[in-house]
Amino acid sequence: MSKDLQMRAAINQKLIEMGERERLKELLRAKLIECGWKDQLKAHCKDVIKEKGLEHVTVEDLVAEITPKGRALVPDSVKKELLQRIRAFLAQHSTL
Amino acid sequence: SNRSAARMKDRPLLRKGFYAAAGRGAPLDVLSVMSPAGCSHVSGFKVDNWKQNLRVIYQCFVWSGTAETRRRKAKSCICHMCGAHLSRLHSCLYCVYFGCFTKKHIHEHAKNKRHNLAIDLLYGGIYCFVCQDYIYDKDMEQIAKEEQRKFFFFFFLFSPLSPGVGEKYSTWEPTKRELELLRHNPKRRKITTNCTIGLRGLINLGNTCFMNCIVQALTHTPLLRDFFLSDRHKCEMQSNSCLVCEMSQLFQEFYSGHRYPHIPFRLLHLVWTHARHLAGYEQQDAHEFLIAALDVLHRHCDDNGKKANNPNHCNCIIDQIFTGGLQSDVTCQVCHGVSTTIDPFWDISLDLPGSSTPFWPLSPGSDGSVVNGESHQSGSTTLTDCLRRFTRPEHLGSSAKIKCGGCHSYQESTKQLTMKKLPIVACFHLKRFEHSAKLRRKITTYVSFPLELDMTPFMASSKESRMNGQYQQPLDTLNNDNKYSLFAVVNHQGTLESGHYTSFIRQHKDQWFKCDDAIITKASIKDVLDSEGYLLFYHKQFLEYE
Repeated sequence: MSKDLQMRAAINQKLIEMGERERLKELLRAKLIECGWKDQLKAHCKDVIKEKGLEHVTVEDLVAEITPKGRALVPDSVKKELLQRIRAFLAQHSTL
Repeated sequence: SNRSAARMKDRPLLRKGFYAAAGRGAPLDVLSVMSPAGCSHVSGFKVDNWKQNLRVIYQCFVWSGTAETRRRKAKSCICHMCGAHLSRLHSCLYCVYFGCFTKKHIHEHAKNKRHNLAIDLLYGGIYCFVCQDYIYDKDMEQIAKEEQRKFFFFFFLFSPLSPGVGEKYSTWEPTKRELELLRHNPKRRKITTNCTIGLRGLINLGNTCFMNCIVQALTHTPLLRDFFLSDRHKCEMQSNSCLVCEMSQLFQEFYSGHRYPHIPFRLLHLVWTHARHLAGYEQQDAHEFLIAALDVLHRHCDDNGKKANNPNHCNCIIDQIFTGGLQSDVTCQVCHGVSTTIDPFWDISLDLPGSSTPFWPLSPGSDGSVVNGESHQSGSTTLTDCLRRFTRPEHLGSSAKIKCGGCHSYQESTKQLTMKKLPIVACFHLKRFEHSAKLRRKITTYVSFPLELDMTPFMASSKESRMNGQYQQPLDTLNNDNKYSLFAVVNHQGTLESGHYTSFIRQHKDQWFKCDDAIITKASIKDVLDSEGYLLFYHKQFLEYE
């Protein structure tokens, strides 16, 4: 594994151990609901389901369809805030 | 195909459950809750002490609540094939194996070992490799729900993020009783474009048309209707005299589908009880009734006893819908210091031309620009004119000097009103009834009002931009926050001594109806806009996310 991936894995481990990952997840969840992202994607999901037909669509179809759109639609302000949180967390636990 | 054949056998109703992208959601339809097992391939798993084993998996790898389980999760939850911790990691249910879903590592394991079940470590869903889809086994779902609840209870208890105590939002699932009710009551109502749902006449109980009109306006206020029809009022009053309960009852009557007019005797009685000044069989002012009704409703919405502690910071449905903030700026003419206050309001009372207070000219610096699609060419006054007048700076005169905090003496000043915070429903009251010492009369000047209204020019923020030198801001068509749509009009015909109130209300998107006590008739938009107008009800067009 490259150094970059190793670092990522280490950070991830720390985040999980300290329970910070769950807190970040909840923060992100709240932000994405507030800014309407969840509703936007829900609507997109419904469109995909209508297009493919209720009987034929699979979870994989939905994941493939909405992942790129979901990633693109996250507001910059939310990304910024999450990054700030993570940086602050890492600064606090500077053994990494 | 193989897949469909397998499913046909297991679920004769051929329904699927879906995954909510942002967390565990209930399956989209009621029927899959009713099926006994998600798929038959779980039978190989459900042996011996499977329930406890499954719980351990949830606690250790999905919803790790303790420091110990978190440590274990951090260390062991990586893909056994590539070491990644993202890529939708899944855990095999039959052995200790973690694999990526996205890169199909877990699929390979499933094929090689013939272990057909895996659990998604992010959301806790169970994937069946034979069915090639996530399945919803009732017993396993039950365990998942319990483990998730346990985790979130402690998470929220100790987390500064969420104000709620220990409860995570979960989507609605029908209870056994509710399923029973749905089955025993198979009749379903469908709202077509032409249906008259929500329309009902009201019997006049003796000059009570003033009350009937306000009731029509309130029962057709979309957010208020949604609040009452979803049973959101939990009554804390001991007696039977809760006006909010009566309002709830009224909504039930209006949306019952009954076509004969309703007799609002209980409502009238409650109003007389709680607003003594309105009691009696004389004709009352519809505007006074509106304010009194909102006041009583606001008082009776207990909102967890918050009102007892702080009546100004209530979050009841009345405040949420009707309360706005009016900013008053008093500027000292000498030192130009500004003293600002913000007061809550439920309505805006507007002076009209023809009253004893002069209407024209409007504020200095105003011109005849076209706002809200109205113009001065016709010579008639518009609602926008009235609003401009309402928000103009007013010289308070030498006989009304204000003590200036900056100058420490009494100085002449100007006062200006602007909107600080707009309510979701804005009610404009055209002051047609003049009750001065000299005369009592009704002002019948025609005031034209629009179907759509943009309040941006009257906002405190717009005034600040103007003062910073940005005169005549072009109306920002992209800013939807201040746009309103007309949905009800209350009119008064006749004189001060003897008159009659009627109303126009908007039902569905563009259907207007005239409500004359017990008689409801279809009306055109022209009928509405040509009417005199006494109380105008506007609803925000867009409810923005914060």
